[in-house]
Amino acid sequence: MPSLRDIRNRITSVKSTRQITKAMKMVAAAKLRRAQDAVLKTRPYVQLLDKALGLVAARAAAEEPESVHPLVAQREARVAEVVVITSDRGLAGGFNSNIIRRTQRFLTENGDRFERIELSTIGRKAKDFLKARKLATRKDFPGVHQGLSYEKAEAIGQEFVTRYLAGEVDAVFLCYNEFKSAIAQTPVVVQFLPLQPPAVEAEAAIDFIYEPSREALLAELLPRHVAMQVWRALLESAASEHGARMSAMESATKNAEEMIAALTLQYNRARQAYVTKELMEIVGGAEALK
Amino acid sequence: MALTLDIVTPERRVLSVTCDEVRAPGVQGGFGIRRGHTSFMSSLEPGRLTYVEGGREHHFAIGGGFLQVADDKVIVLADTAEAAADIDVGRAQLALADAREKLKKLTVDDRNHAEEEARVRRAAARIGIAGT
Repeated sequence: MPSLRDIRNRITSVKSTRQITKAMKMVAAAKLRRAQDAVLKTRPYVQLLDKALGLVAARAAAEEPESVHPLVAQREARVAEVVVITSDRGLAGGFNSNIIRRTQRFLTENGDRFERIELSTIGRKAKDFLKARKLATRKDFPGVHQGLSYEKAEAIGQEFVTRYLAGEVDAVFLCYNEFKSAIAQTPVVVQFLPLQPPAVEAEAAIDFIYEPSREALLAELLPRHVAMQVWRALLESAASEHGARMSAMESATKNAEEMIAALTLQYNRARQAYVTKELMEIVGGAEALK
Repeated sequence: MALTLDIVTPERRVLSVTCDEVRAPGVQGGFGIRRGHTSFMSSLEPGRLTYVEGGREHHFAIGGGFLQVADDKVIVLADTAEAAADIDVGRAQLALADAREKLKKLTVDDRNHAEEEARVRRAAARIGIAGT
């Protein structure tokens, strides 16, 4: 039976934990809003870019099917690479471990499809987790999450385009948490190279004048499309991270509250027992004096 | 009906207006667009994009991208876009100096050469447009 003071100390400690988890939840909620905003703001660009790309690609494919741009062309995939995107910080529920599990599943399921699957990481947790599981990584992109910007996404996308065109890698996948809602995030693996050109509607048959040329335009549009894929994955992952942290902290706060209630009950019982015991002693003493 | 102009960047929608004329820095020289322009797509250089509305000119510094015209709708997919009034000249000059410095250290066949060169051009374009 713990003493009264022990229980009181535990209550104080749980209370301060609750304060921290509550604060973290609020911070995560604020960041989540901003991250969601950022995701929404990319939408017009993505839609317009996809549409423009679809227009150009569809006409190019229709008129000269033999000269497909290398970023779109299908080729035999020997070396694959998975870019694992996690957060830098923990305390976000299953956010990071879900991604690692998804990555491992991908590796076991697709091990036969490729000669070799390389891994690279964005986010400190991915790096640490893979290291702990003794999985070799090709490269880590450090510090992407601090001051997340489109330029960083562009640089990462550019690197993979260069490697892909040089034949160092034949297929690139992004593994990240897709943002469904504040309480639901799904880890997904999405292929981003070779590109799957966005589909166009039939009304897209406008004959454009291209400057400088259709090929040159395509060569400019495609890397931007790649960069946008990376950018979107990073933003979705950031929004998911804050969502996951928010719900994790929410339940941590609830657990702390339950614990405080239980401990308080225990404390009151112990105090009552103590009071009763003292009373009995006094009564017993008085009886003895009679 | 006048032209509609939309400028979007990967990070946000910058502008959505109706106007009478758009002038943009194409890779093969600047061009202008008015009503009834033929369907047209062009790559853009870093530089000045202007739109005219009711006789007033509005300037933007854009950092390369694309322009698409169809049905009197002009869509600009810019890598970066800033209204002339919002440009911080001091910062732009720092960026220019920095990019020039880096460019000097690189040889022409370096992977990053083209990228740094683009940064120099972008920064120079921004300074030229600031405050106009």
